Amino acid sequence: MRSSILPFLAVASLLTACTKDITVDLPTTDPKLVVEGTIEIGGPPLVILTRTQSYFDPTSLESIASIFVRDAVITVSDGITTVPLTQICSSAIPDSLIDEAAALTGLDPALLASADICIYAYTGNDFLGVEGRTYSLNIDAGGELASSVTSIPYAVALDSLWFRLAQQQPDDDSLGFIYATLTDPDTMGNAYRWFAKRINQDYDGDQKDDQFIAPLFSVFEDRYINALTFDFNFNRGSSQYSSDEDDENEEAGYFKRGDTVVVKFVSIGIPEFQFYNTYANNVASQGDLFSTPANARTNISGGLGVWAGYAQAIDTMVCVP
Amino acid sequence: MLRTRSVLIFLSLAFLGLSNATGQNRYTISGYINDSASGEALIGASLFVKEINKGIGTNVYGFYSITLDEGTYTLQVRYLGYKDMVRTVALTSDQKQNFDMASSAVVIREAEVVGRKGKGNTESTDMGRIDVDVQKLRTLPALLGEVDILKVIQFLPGVKSNGEGNSGFYVRGGGPDQNLILLDDATVYNASHLFGFFSVFNADAVKNLELYKGGMPAQYGGRISSVLDITMKEGNDQKFHGQGGIGLISSRLTLEGPIVKDRSSFIVSGRRTYIDVLTKPFLKDNPNFGGSGYYFYDLNAKANYRISDKDRVYLSGYFGRDVFDFGTSNPGDPKFKIPWGNATVAGRWNHVFGPKLFMNATATFSDYKFEFQGDQDQFSFSLKSGIRDYGLKVDLNQYASVQHNLKYGGQYINHLYTPSTVVVESGDTDFNIDTPSRLKAHEGALYISDEFEATDRLLITAGLRLTTFTHVGSYNEYIFDDQGVQTGTRSYAAGEKIASYAALEPRLSARFKLNKNSSVKASYNRGQQYVHLASFSSIALPTDVWIPSSKNVKPLIGSQYAAGYYRDFAERMFETSVEVYYKDMQNLIEYAEGVQPQDNGNNNYDANLVFGKGYSYGAEFFVKKRTGKLNGWVGYTWSKTMRIFDDINNGEEFPSRWDRRNDISVVVGYDHSKRWQFGATFVYSTGQAVTLPVNRYWIEGRLVSEYTQRNGYRMAPYHRLDLAATLHNRDTKEMTDPTTGEVTEVPRKWRSSWTFSVYNAYNRANPYFIYFANSGVPAEGTFQVVAKQVSLFSILPSITWNFNF
Repeated sequence: MRSSILPFLAVASLLTACTKDITVDLPTTDPKLVVEGTIEIGGPPLVILTRTQSYFDPTSLESIASIFVRDAVITVSDGITTVPLTQICSSAIPDSLIDEAAALTGLDPALLASADICIYAYTGNDFLGVEGRTYSLNIDAGGELASSVTSIPYAVALDSLWFRLAQQQPDDDSLGFIYATLTDPDTMGNAYRWFAKRINQDYDGDQKDDQFIAPLFSVFEDRYINALTFDFNFNRGSSQYSSDEDDENEEAGYFKRGDTVVVKFVSIGIPEFQFYNTYANNVASQGDLFSTPANARTNISGGLGVWAGYAQAIDTMVCVP
Repeated sequence: MLRTRSVLIFLSLAFLGLSNATGQNRYTISGYINDSASGEALIGASLFVKEINKGIGTNVYGFYSITLDEGTYTLQVRYLGYKDMVRTVALTSDQKQNFDMASSAVVIREAEVVGRKGKGNTESTDMGRIDVDVQKLRTLPALLGEVDILKVIQFLPGVKSNGEGNSGFYVRGGGPDQNLILLDDATVYNASHLFGFFSVFNADAVKNLELYKGGMPAQYGGRISSVLDITMKEGNDQKFHGQGGIGLISSRLTLEGPIVKDRSSFIVSGRRTYIDVLTKPFLKDNPNFGGSGYYFYDLNAKANYRISDKDRVYLSGYFGRDVFDFGTSNPGDPKFKIPWGNATVAGRWNHVFGPKLFMNATATFSDYKFEFQGDQDQFSFSLKSGIRDYGLKVDLNQYASVQHNLKYGGQYINHLYTPSTVVVESGDTDFNIDTPSRLKAHEGALYISDEFEATDRLLITAGLRLTTFTHVGSYNEYIFDDQGVQTGTRSYAAGEKIASYAALEPRLSARFKLNKNSSVKASYNRGQQYVHLASFSSIALPTDVWIPSSKNVKPLIGSQYAAGYYRDFAERMFETSVEVYYKDMQNLIEYAEGVQPQDNGNNNYDANLVFGKGYSYGAEFFVKKRTGKLNGWVGYTWSKTMRIFDDINNGEEFPSRWDRRNDISVVVGYDHSKRWQFGATFVYSTGQAVTLPVNRYWIEGRLVSEYTQRNGYRMAPYHRLDLAATLHNRDTKEMTDPTTGEVTEVPRKWRSSWTFSVYNAYNRANPYFIYFANSGVPAEGTFQVVAKQVSLFSILPSITWNFNF
């Protein structure tokens, strides 16, 4: 249903005569704080804090690195305890740990290695995410304030996972999608996010994926599926920084026979669902004539982005049709 | 209310004037004015009474009536393109006088495409009213050779196109849903094929088209911006006839003829595109579009029967469908099927009660359906929406006296709306999506208006329309708590009132003649609209959903003030006008930011809407050369159209999508000879206001756009020149008499012509839309963003062969 725009685009593209590059003169506005923060069950709060840039600001590495906010004072509270987050900068991380840091933050390891990028995390081990708790976030970036509240819902595990061939080509017996059966709890207001990570090795002997990857459209809610047991499937998301061959050849978007896949199925709240849903629409509708331009619906006051509690349920499967 | 009262007082005074009879005997001449060759009624033909220097026009059924003192009169009947008729009558009793006018192909060629039939530019009280002569459109350039009646009205000041190649139109800053489009009195809800590139009106089946962009008469209602009243041909009641054409993307065929000569006739007209047939072979091997196809077709049919001189019945219908399939050659990829279309039926009865009273009773049916079916693997999704109307209407036209022409009547429409209905299946699982309530509503109206000639200089048309609208059950309303969690539903029983509205709508226009060649006019009208189009996208798509006014959706209220100066030059060879207007719109609707079609499931149909207001003002300049070998017009409009919504653009005023500061249109026809005709059109307008991202930020490594101002950016101006040339094949042939050897010219039975047309003659890359693309990875130094402008149609030549027999 998300692709309802596709056919119209197809007609437009059949008729389209030409596309050319132009320069547009956009108004300038003050940059806003952008929060990308999560706290998952058993994990510490983690915040990446950046600022918006003008759309046509320089695209150099320096320009992109400059959006990461340094020296912000960030605290997270569960209503009883309030803890400060520590600024961790990539220049202080040994090269051997860069990949691990990248996997943890979702940032591009190359970016962490080539620029001094700072993020914020709680470094103790006495304040980790707990199901059913509410966490408030407060940010003071040199006097600029932003705040948000999120909850970690109760995790909902999948009933089962299996692999089925997509058979896009008649002779193809290796590429497919992962299917899952879910029983939605009988209260309204459940929402879910899907991540997957292939942990088997590629031809070079490296693990195929270093981090959990969510496809662009990765969330759904139970408005239409409340209390049902039903099947669904997801394609394979790819990391934004990937230049892996299998993200560019015919394997892109598919899991492959023999892959060992860890599925992280995350329960999230409705405001967080709305953010990820509108975020995906915002990203997907870039260049789409037929949709009304819309901002991602943030749950941050004083800024953009999301502060999300994740209740993850982890399952591992081997792709055998 | 004060305004309403003054209108009432005025009306009562006007009626008093009716009984103000003189002592002399007065008699009425009435009748029909028809085309002698086809029997088609001539709409807006003028009958001029020389002795009293007064005239009157025929109505849309070709009927006229005029009441005069006893005496002898010279009646002169005129109609554009026909030979004048003069008849002297001695009026000693009520008389019936029918006129059958002959076409004047040999006399002066008045190639007026759009004009004002009947009373001229400076005569009538009409403001912003235009008639379009459909048969003359063919000599103008057309996109891909498809003659489109909706596209020609877009060349008029104050009327704007929805976009490149689009037949959708906007009038004086009003939205696309604010135009009442009537086909033989039945409402057409979506007048577009192929995402707007072609209108549903097959020019071969259309006889006449009237557009009111302001000063709407009281007999029309239900929309606040404009009325487009389209009359289908009746069919030739003299002899069998056919016409058709073969074009690049479609073919047409129309057949018409008598059922019973002089009494009854029919017309059937069909059109189908064959893009699918033409493109399939090329697409078959393209894996991206292998399963795709598109076509549309139209069918118009009409029959009429003249029961007696007093009674005539008509039955007409339109049926059209667009079918669009999209899919790839790969079995696992998504497939879509999107059928949509309109159907209308109208049954009409004309009755002449007496020489002064004409009635038209109409029963109409309109149906618009849209469906979207998508399948991928075991997952299927379908979305349906539509609207169905049953209507009854009685219009009476009372030719009370030379000074008064009264119109009154009533209308009832039963609406049935199907808001977006979603069905989703995944394998054997049916998702919990409620079938939303269909929405039922009653719409009623009563109206009266009088065209009152107060003095020789002052002509006033005053009208009043009373409208009511009631949304009734059965209906299930979802009830939500503050958190947006559904707590229950409220059920309304069948017929139970949910919301009800009523309004008195004043309509007033006046003309004051300054001298023989010039006049000033002013008009005021106010109207309410009870149906709304909720649009998800920024261009008109069939996914747009019609919804009724109800508890939360208040009726759209529109008021328009207009004034103008009109002047003719050189025996009406040139007509000129300047009109200024101000229009105010209350209770406009839009979907809230970011709402997607699927968000309407398990929710009230009006839950995702936001409400606001708008205004538009402008000045329109128009110069037209009516007659001569070289004819046409130039129009210029300066206007400003803004919208104010609390929940959009932070409550700040923003320009409407249809805001164009400057707009120029030029239409030129040149009749070189009997065989060659040329046409050219040019348009220029200020760039469209669009919303573009202003800032960028990153989430999970993906670039996110931040939009700040709605419609804050202007695309480059739009301008385009189109050219056409029509070559008529010889319509006579030489015949040699076998006995005398004498050679004579006789008309051919088959006549045909070629139209060569070039769209976008100087190949301007007009902006259709702008988007920002990004690519690359920042850490690798390959990241870049670029603004791209997409243009739709480059220079597009076409050729069409038209024939008739």
